[in-house]
Amino acid sequence: MTAPSRPISRRPQPAQQWFVWLDIAAVLAWGVLLLKYWLTGKVNILLHPDYVWLAILAGIFLLGIGLLKVGQITTRSRKRQLPALQHLSLFPKGWSATLLLTVALIGLVFTPRPFASQVALERGVTDTLAMTRSQPQAFRSNTRPEDRSIIDWVRTLNVYPEPNAYSGQQANVDGFVIHLPELPENYLMISRFVITCCAADVYPVGLPVKLRQNRSAYPADRWFQVEGQMITEELNNQRQLVILANKLTAIPEPENPYDY
Amino acid sequence: MIDRLNNALTLFFSLMVEAMPFLLLGVLFSSILLLFVDERKLIAAIPRNPILSALAGSLIGFLFPVCECGNVPVARRLLIQGAPNAMAVGFLLAAPTVNPIVFWATWVAFRDQPEIVFLRIGFSLLIATVVAVIFSTQADLRPLMQPAIAHSMPSPKLQPSVALESTLLQSGTFILGSGSQPLRLDAGMTAAMSNPALSQPLSERWQLMLDNVINEMRELGGVLILGAAIAALVQVLIPREAVLSLGQGQLTSILAMMLLAWIVSICSTVDSFFALSFASTFTSGALLAFLVFGPMVDLKNIGLLLTIFRGRAIFYLFALAAQMTLLLTLLVNLYLS
Repeated sequence: MTAPSRPISRRPQPAQQWFVWLDIAAVLAWGVLLLKYWLTGKVNILLHPDYVWLAILAGIFLLGIGLLKVGQITTRSRKRQLPALQHLSLFPKGWSATLLLTVALIGLVFTPRPFASQVALERGVTDTLAMTRSQPQAFRSNTRPEDRSIIDWVRTLNVYPEPNAYSGQQANVDGFVIHLPELPENYLMISRFVITCCAADVYPVGLPVKLRQNRSAYPADRWFQVEGQMITEELNNQRQLVILANKLTAIPEPENPYDY
Repeated sequence: MIDRLNNALTLFFSLMVEAMPFLLLGVLFSSILLLFVDERKLIAAIPRNPILSALAGSLIGFLFPVCECGNVPVARRLLIQGAPNAMAVGFLLAAPTVNPIVFWATWVAFRDQPEIVFLRIGFSLLIATVVAVIFSTQADLRPLMQPAIAHSMPSPKLQPSVALESTLLQSGTFILGSGSQPLRLDAGMTAAMSNPALSQPLSERWQLMLDNVINEMRELGGVLILGAAIAALVQVLIPREAVLSLGQGQLTSILAMMLLAWIVSICSTVDSFFALSFASTFTSGALLAFLVFGPMVDLKNIGLLLTIFRGRAIFYLFALAAQMTLLLTLLVNLYLS
């Protein structure tokens, strides 16, 4: 087979050159964005920790190819041009690179925030893992009750749902507060989002907490450590496991807000 | 409203950050394939039996991990270089899904529901093989192809190896110039379709590979941005009850997701993350329909497929793939979940 013909022009046209720099800017901006998420710790809000290394590698790779391309065109433009490969474009020239660059710049300015109680209310916070949701990944029945996190409690309940089985056990969990409208004024939900892959699939789980006062003292979305005792109560015509709170301590929002 | 915008952006960037490594991996492999692998050797090793070659073509994705944007040019080169029809069509439909990168990405997204990962691969393989066998009953595919490709394809009456080598029996347009040999007008097409980069020296191939990685990353990254934006907006803006009522119907959920797959045209290496954002609201069958059907035929793909087939053939591919996807995923909804 014959070799493809060389382009007639030996130097890139100025407009061509401009598109190449746009590509490079887009690639470098995405590399910087991925590494920024890692270095600022914000990647924890976006991804499950198992996949953070992929994002870091991708960032390094993008910076690498961006810089290589800079090297290539700064040395190549004085020599002859490479043959153009057959290339299928989906967008008009320049659009895709502009889109990538713009989005990366927005990403550099915008700080991702973990989801709050509003999302939890929309997605429906429960103490059961719905049918479409994950099966327990690890079940540790020998854990001391006061060492269980919210998701541990929910998994335990999923395996053996009878609330009476846990009555009287100590509870010590932390999470953020949701004010469920259907619960009486002296109840709140202490909740966590569970993540399996990325923020797109987070779902809330939580346990009702019975307070000795009105819940307005504990605003929604604030983080608290709840210590208390498990009791069984009937809420919304359903027998449920409830934490009878002895003490609520305000805690700062953790750097990694999700549970696994 | 500010909160919603915030949530939408967080969701959007989460999808982008999770998908970007897989997109790059796909782009990297597709570039290596383009610049370092000679498909002609592969074609020579493929069995001529239609069913076997359909199956072989469907499984080649494990050697050529490319998504649907990378596989159309490869399928085109395969056809022109005399690959059996069944192999090329099987490859075209299955390779974007049945390959290690897509398997890994789907596993990352759906490791809590491993049945989705395995059914995705199984269904894609089944549909691709069946459609490829159906296409192979047409002895001469050339009437279904774009004229430029049909000209370059070897005639089915000849052994493909003869057709590749023979200088005596060539179809095409010739002019008799002043030289002793007739000049073939469409020879440039064949040359362009055989892998052009393979004739380059190694140092230049690395440079070309860099160019190709950046080009594909730019084009597919643009589509990824649109897909991720749609996924984020649907989650944040459309009332959950509306999505749920559509997503929980056994049949409506599948049809909705197939339509979405067709419109969104997101690359198969990253579409599992898109589907994941619907995992809590849509039936498993619907998610599978999205993951199986999307990489085979979608809006973006049609533009690419038109570089090989005439509209009629694309319609057959589309209709066959759509019907089988619907049937199989409906069975999943009715009997498996």
